[in-house]
Amino acid sequence: MNLLANVIQVLILVLAAPLLRGFIARLKAIIQRRRGASIWRPYADLWKLFHKEDLVPKTATAVFRGAPAIGFAVTLVATAFLPLLHSNALVQLDGDIFLFVYLLVIVRFVMSLAALDGGSAFGGMGSSREALVATLAEAPLFLVLTAVAILAKTSSLSQMAQWTTTQNFFDISTVHILAFAALVIVAIAETGRIPVDNPTTHLELTMIHEAMVLEYSGPSLALIEWSQAIKLHVMGALMVALFAPWGMSAVDTAGGLLVALGVYALKLLGLAIGLSIVESSVAKLRMYVVPDFLRVASALAILAVIFTAITKR
Amino acid sequence: MGIIELALAKVLSSAAVLLFATVLLMATARRISTCAYLFACQSAILTAEVVAVGYFQHIPGAYVIAGVVLLAKVVGIPFALLWLMKKLHTPHDVGASLSPGYSIFVMSGLVVLSFAVVRLYLQELRAAEVILAAAVALILSGAFLMVTRSKALMLMIGLLVLENGIFLAALVTTFGMPLIIEIGIVFDLLIGLLLMGIFVFRIRSTFDHLDVSRLRRLRG
Repeated sequence: MNLLANVIQVLILVLAAPLLRGFIARLKAIIQRRRGASIWRPYADLWKLFHKEDLVPKTATAVFRGAPAIGFAVTLVATAFLPLLHSNALVQLDGDIFLFVYLLVIVRFVMSLAALDGGSAFGGMGSSREALVATLAEAPLFLVLTAVAILAKTSSLSQMAQWTTTQNFFDISTVHILAFAALVIVAIAETGRIPVDNPTTHLELTMIHEAMVLEYSGPSLALIEWSQAIKLHVMGALMVALFAPWGMSAVDTAGGLLVALGVYALKLLGLAIGLSIVESSVAKLRMYVVPDFLRVASALAILAVIFTAITKR
Repeated sequence: MGIIELALAKVLSSAAVLLFATVLLMATARRISTCAYLFACQSAILTAEVVAVGYFQHIPGAYVIAGVVLLAKVVGIPFALLWLMKKLHTPHDVGASLSPGYSIFVMSGLVVLSFAVVRLYLQELRAAEVILAAAVALILSGAFLMVTRSKALMLMIGLLVLENGIFLAALVTTFGMPLIIEIGIVFDLLIGLLLMGIFVFRIRSTFDHLDVSRLRRLRG
């Protein structure tokens, strides 16, 4: 039952990711007084892309062809470390927070290389911007995880979730507030949502991620889109696991897991509503202000780590 | 009754955290109006703290002080600031000489510094470390805002934050000053604000802007 639940967790993270994306798009449409597309639209998009021809630039090498598959596979591996329905993950290692962060970085690295390999000017521009955002977002993400790990006295994501479930929800700790605020900023930058990057356009000179994948088409683009959707879901699941894991099933029964799934869906719904409100009300930042935005996350994350020493709880 | 006690105990334990949050957000704010709203939030947290302290120390006068603070700092002063902004047609920018990204680094440094400072005096005082550190952090951050923001309205907000810090320090170290003194301080603050408001209007009419860093020449 335990193993089954773990596999179901990973499947939910991977298969429900496009649904989350469609759901956020629908919420944004409602906020902006539009009717919007169906929430199942991302699945249809993926289906369409998988049945199209894969066009590859003449100058491209194996790096360009292999990158989407590698990126997708590495993202899949990253999902295996997250606890979702109960405080266990498919893979638990001592120190897997470090592995988790660097798995996410590998995806970006491979995609940047592929964008350079594609040979278009836009690809190079996008990959240099992506590298800038990635370097600035990596340190705060790392420090956030470290701060919570120091409190929980463990460096495994699932054991950190386990520790948090035993804490009192109303006991607000300074570290948690600071770390959560930093993680929200990092998650926005990592997943390329609105104040940092606009995920819905291919037509802006300021685009970051979309500029990188401009050369891709067909099944390759489908894999990239899907792994991007999974990444968004993974960041949401990470926030839930680290800061609000209450409601995870303590026993591995079918009923308990179903309830946990419902509670998880509610928490994710809350995050999605928050994200769509932010995306509809905030303007995209100028490219040169993005480092400033991420600097705020770094300061908050550093402060969170310092506070683990100051406030002994 | 149980739930009131629980809520007030929560206020005591988490007020400091929320105060740190308002201070850090003020460092990142790009608009004067945002700072005014944050100041209102900060004062609301202070009001809750006053009520909680009054309840647990059995000081009936504290409720009066809380009421005065609520009226003056949560409602009155922020509204006055926003009204002033509207009247002056001033740009919303805070005129930061240090970008928000660096400001928040300095501000976090100040928060850590305030913990270090408070730790020296902790033996002699009966107050909790975190809330006292929050008071010192408010004082330092108010001074920091006054130094690095060049708009006259931001200097006023900096001074108000500084005053909030002094108020909080007095509250947690003495467990409530005499009522008359507290009311006197708030009254002082209102008069000070009035004077500064008049000054801001004068600066505006003589120089056509509110940027303090550009006040170089004498004008009659």
